[in-house]
Amino acid sequence: MQWIAQGFIFRRITSPFHQLDPRVKLLVSIELFTLSLLVGSLPEVIIALSGIFAIASISKILRRISRTLTYTLFFAIIIFSINILVGYPLMDAFVIAVRFLAIVGSTSIFFLTTPPDELELVMKWFRLPRDIVFAFVTAVRFVPVLMMDALQIMDAQKSRGLELQKGNIFSRFRRFIPILIPLIVDAVLRSGDLAEAMEARAYGAVKKPTSLYQLEIGVWGKVATILSITLIVPLAYLFLFLM
Amino acid sequence: MIEFSSVEYRHPNGVLALRNIDLKIRKGEVLAIVGENGAGKTTLIKHTNGLLKPSKGKVTAFDMDTNDESVANLSRKIGIIFQNPDHQIFSESVENEVKFALKNFGFKEEAISERLEWALNFFDLERYRTTSPMLLSGGEKKRLCIASVLAWDPDVVVMDEPTVGQDFIQKERLIKIIQMLVSKGKTVVIVSHDIEFIWPLQPRVIVMCGGKIIADNKAGKIFQERELLNKARIVKPQLQELSEKIHGESSGAFSNIYDAKQWVISKLKSD
Repeated sequence: MQWIAQGFIFRRITSPFHQLDPRVKLLVSIELFTLSLLVGSLPEVIIALSGIFAIASISKILRRISRTLTYTLFFAIIIFSINILVGYPLMDAFVIAVRFLAIVGSTSIFFLTTPPDELELVMKWFRLPRDIVFAFVTAVRFVPVLMMDALQIMDAQKSRGLELQKGNIFSRFRRFIPILIPLIVDAVLRSGDLAEAMEARAYGAVKKPTSLYQLEIGVWGKVATILSITLIVPLAYLFLFLM
Repeated sequence: MIEFSSVEYRHPNGVLALRNIDLKIRKGEVLAIVGENGAGKTTLIKHTNGLLKPSKGKVTAFDMDTNDESVANLSRKIGIIFQNPDHQIFSESVENEVKFALKNFGFKEEAISERLEWALNFFDLERYRTTSPMLLSGGEKKRLCIASVLAWDPDVVVMDEPTVGQDFIQKERLIKIIQMLVSKGKTVVIVSHDIEFIWPLQPRVIVMCGGKIIADNKAGKIFQERELLNKARIVKPQLQELSEKIHGESSGAFSNIYDAKQWVISKLKSD
């Protein structure tokens, strides 16, 4: 469980991809996402996944993205099984399931390489309302915190004799109630504390607050943008009309 | 009773949290684990009931290898009280919160009622029997957590930072509970930064630093070693400091605030 949780937690790493402007990272992620949506055969899936793993390797997040995909594998297996049950051929069901992995992988690249502060700047650049940006970024920022809370709650309940791995799927689900209730209560209490702390620090006092950081694409950002477009656009054309 | 042999533990993120730990926790003793934040104290105690398994070495508890036993089996004998009560409370009433572990461990209805009555009375929670535990104060929630663990009568009680958010009266009460447990032959392990809380118990103290045990001795000896305390970023107990100022470094310290008060009064009278 803790091994999987690590796959969702952003960590500051020095890599060429991490240093790019967040808008460029978002563009690359959207391009890979689009490519993943377009795949329809095994070679196309392999090309899309190779692109994702190549970027993950440059970003030094290969191990962490593997953890995220391990977690996603459970859902991919469900998708595969449902497709088989409704009569899809084996290879098509396989491609659809792997396509799901590619979609998750492409979005994970952005979230595993972009700190919440940069995410906030990107959303503000898109001129989204400040309160929505704040709510979204706070939710992203608290994902790892909630993960760690969940692990601590599980430890506390296991120490009181709760056996999460025992019984059939329904009784296992019921056994998660002692984990979910403290987690939800804790999250609600924390959100109240956060709201008070933000108000105490003058959140919302002025309509247009100044920002400490400014977005700047830079030379390498421009190079990465051009390179990604020149690679992805022909590939997307190939997937759509030729393969 | 609980034995760590050359234990190492590496977190999933690769950080080595425990290094070469050799430790024997004996029956009936009070053991305090102290050290700065991130020293590995909580990681160490999570090995006692198998919540964490050693990456290298072996942990045995009651002659059971923690690698081979379930957490539930080990927890029947080793009860851990966690730092944050909000991380365990979930039932709709105080009564059910105490019953939770008893049901998990398969106690019979009669025994459950008996243990419940004892826990609620002993921890002064009887009047909250049907109240939602979420509505209790911080101190009451902490007491409920201790009650819900002591209810199943484990042989070893492990407390992780028991004094966080507790006022003086609650701390005094906690000291009395620990003394009562020891008098019943239980083993108590306390992880705490609160040296003033630990001091009156005069426990065996192990000092941790960077995932290693750097000292293991009686409280009286440990808190006299200035260099060791500096290394582990621990401040000497005030009662020891006061005693040294009055009697000199080699003398024994006041064991509690009441002894110190008595000494000051008698000194004032004689002068």
